Amino acid sequence: MNARLLAAATGSWLVLWLPPIRHTLESDMVLHMAVQVPLLIMLGVLVAVVARDREPRWLADADWLGIPGIVAVVLGTSFWMLPRALDQAVSDPWADLIKFLSLPLLVGVPLGLSWRRMPPLGRAFIWANFIPKLGAIGGLYLGAPTRLCAYYRLDQQELAGWTLIAIAVALGMTWFFAAFVGWTPSCAKQSPRRSGGFLIAAVGGN
Amino acid sequence: MTIAATAGRTAINPRAAVLAYLAVSGIVLLLMMLLGLTMRLAQAQWIDVSPDFFYVVMTMHGAGMVGIAGLCSAAVMWHFVRRHVPVSTAVFLTNLVFFLIGAVLILGAGFIGGFGAAWTFLFPLPAHSGGLWSVNAAAAYLVGLIFIGVGFLLLHLDIARGILSVYGGLGAALGVKQAFGLAHGEEGPPPAVTASTMALIANILGILVGAAVLIISLVNLYVPSFTFNALAAKNLIYYFGHTFINVTIYMAVIAVYEILPIYAHRAWKTNWAFYLAWVLSTVFVLTVYTHHLLMDFAMPTWTLVAGQVISWLSGLPVLLVTAFGTLTVVYRSGLRWNPAAALVFLGVAGWAIGVIPAIADGTIAVNSVMHNTQWVPGHFHTYLLLGMVAMVLGFMTYLTNPQSRYGVAWLGYWLYLLGGVVFVLAFLSAGSASVPRRYAVHVAQWLPYDRIGSIGAACAIAGVLILIVRFFVGMRTAASAQDPSG
Repeated sequence: MNARLLAAATGSWLVLWLPPIRHTLESDMVLHMAVQVPLLIMLGVLVAVVARDREPRWLADADWLGIPGIVAVVLGTSFWMLPRALDQAVSDPWADLIKFLSLPLLVGVPLGLSWRRMPPLGRAFIWANFIPKLGAIGGLYLGAPTRLCAYYRLDQQELAGWTLIAIAVALGMTWFFAAFVGWTPSCAKQSPRRSGGFLIAAVGGN
Repeated sequence: MTIAATAGRTAINPRAAVLAYLAVSGIVLLLMMLLGLTMRLAQAQWIDVSPDFFYVVMTMHGAGMVGIAGLCSAAVMWHFVRRHVPVSTAVFLTNLVFFLIGAVLILGAGFIGGFGAAWTFLFPLPAHSGGLWSVNAAAAYLVGLIFIGVGFLLLHLDIARGILSVYGGLGAALGVKQAFGLAHGEEGPPPAVTASTMALIANILGILVGAAVLIISLVNLYVPSFTFNALAAKNLIYYFGHTFINVTIYMAVIAVYEILPIYAHRAWKTNWAFYLAWVLSTVFVLTVYTHHLLMDFAMPTWTLVAGQVISWLSGLPVLLVTAFGTLTVVYRSGLRWNPAAALVFLGVAGWAIGVIPAIADGTIAVNSVMHNTQWVPGHFHTYLLLGMVAMVLGFMTYLTNPQSRYGVAWLGYWLYLLGGVVFVLAFLSAGSASVPRRYAVHVAQWLPYDRIGSIGAACAIAGVLILIVRFFVGMRTAASAQDPSG
C-alpha cells in the first residue's frame, strides 16, 4: 500500500513536471496559484503518509505539538505566495525545480506529519487564520494599483484575487457547516462524539 | 449532561480566573465610563476639551467599551458553560492576556499617538489623519484589535471544541432538533450551552471577516497605493463590529438563565419555542448588520430592505422568550429580592426597552432622519448600559454576595438605575430634537440635554463604582467559595 502510494505521488510529480502540463498550469495565475501549488503540497502530504511509520523518534519529539512543522509550512507557503517568487518560477527552470521540490518536501511533508500532532485547538486556529488571510490577499490582488507579477496580466491578477476570495468563502462555509452538523472525516472517526467531530479532526485525524 | 468540566486538567482555579476577568472588567468599565462622562461634560461646556482630544476620547471610549463588554460577558458565558462541557482555563486566561496587550496598544494609539478615527476605523480614514495621528498610531490601533480578536477567537474555538466533544455538532448544541419538533424540548441542551453556541458561531464568523479587513487596512496604511473598495470595507467592518457587540448581550443573558432560577427556586424551563428563538436569532444576528448602512445609497436596495426587516425581527425571538421566561420564573415565586437578582432582572428590562428605539432606528424612513443624531447612542446605551452591563453587574454581585449585607449594594443599584435612566433619556430626547451625535462642540440650544445627561452619567458611575468596590471587597472570599447554587 505504502509503495503504491509513494509510486503514485512520484508519478504525479513527474506528470506535473512534464513541460506541456507545467507550462499550461503556469501560463495562468489562477492555475498556478490555486491548482499547481496545492497539488504539489498534496503530493508531499501523500509522501508523509508513507513516511509516518518510519519517522525517527527524535524528529517526532522535536516537532513539539506539531508547531515547528506547521511553522515550516507557513514559511514555505508564504514564500511561494510572493509575486517575485512566482515570476522567478515562470522565468527560470531552476527556480521552478526548487519550487517543485520545496513545496512537496518542505511544505507537504511537514504538513502531513505535524498536523496530526497539533492539538485540536491549534488546528482550528490555523484554519481560522488561513481563511481570512486568503480572503485578504485576494482583496489586495483586486486593490493592487499595478501588476504584481511581471508574467501575468492585470485581468489574470484580478481573476486570481476573486478566486482566492471564493476559495476563502468556500472553505469558511464548509468549515462552518461541517461543525454545525458534526461531520467528521472518515479518517478521523475513532470516536466522533468524544473527539469533537470536524473541529477536532479538522482534516487530519486524531 | 452536566460534567465536571476541567477537574484535574489544570492547576489554575477556574473561579479565580473568572474573578480576574471581572476585576479587569470592573476597572476598565469604570475608566471607560469616566471617558464617556468627559465627553458629555465637554459637550455640556462644563469642562474644556479640545476637539482633537474629544475624538481621541470618543475612539477610546467606543473601542474600550466594546472590548470590555465582550470580555465581561465572555466571563459570564464561560463560568456557566464550563459546568456542561470541558473547556480550558489556560485558553480562557490567554484571552485575557491577549485582551490586555490589545488594550495597551489601543490606549497607546489614542492617548500617545492621538488616533481618533472612531472605534469603527472605517476604511480609509485610519490612513487619512490630516496630520492628527501617525501611520504607526493607526497601525497600533489596528494591531490592538487583532490581538483582541485573536484572543476571542481562541476562546470561542476552545468552547466549540468542548461543545462538539459533548454534543457532536453545533446544531445539536443549539437545539435545532428541539426547535423544529424533532426532539422533546425538555431533552435539549442547557440554556448556557445553547447561548454559548450561538455566541461562538456568530463571533467566529465575525472575527474571521474582521481579520481580513484589518489586514487590508494595515497594508493600506503602509502602502497607500493598495486600496480597497470603501463600501465593501464598511460592510466587512460592520459585519464584524455589529456582530461582536450584539453577541455580548447573548453571552451576558446566560446570567439571567442561571441566576434568577437560583433565587426564585424555580428551574428555567426550555421548550421548542426557546430553541427556535435561539436558532432564529443566530441567523438574524449574522445577517442584520446592513442596518448600519441604511444611509449608504450605493448599497443594493434589497440589502437595505433586508436590513430593515431583519432589524425588526433580530432581537425579538430571544428577547421574547427571555422576557417571558423571566416573568414566569419570578411571578409568585416568593423571590426575596436582592441586588444580584434585581440587577439581572433589570438587565432583561433594559434590553427589552432599548430594543424599541433600536427598531425605530432600523426603519429606513426613520433612519434617514435619526441616524446621525443622539438617538443612536441613546438606544444602544439603553440596552448595553441598562441591559448587558446590568446582567454582568448582577453576575458580579452574585459571585461575591454575602447574603447578609445588602445595604450598600442597594444604594449602588438605585444610583446606577436612576442615573442610567436619566442618562439614556437625555440622549434619546436630544436625538428626537435632532441634536447630532459625534459633535465635539455643541450650540447653546443643545446644552440642557448635555447637562442633564452629564448628571445622569455621574450618578450612574457612582452607582457602578459602589457595586464594583463591593465586588472587590468580596473577591477574596469569593475566590474560594462555592457558587450559591452549590
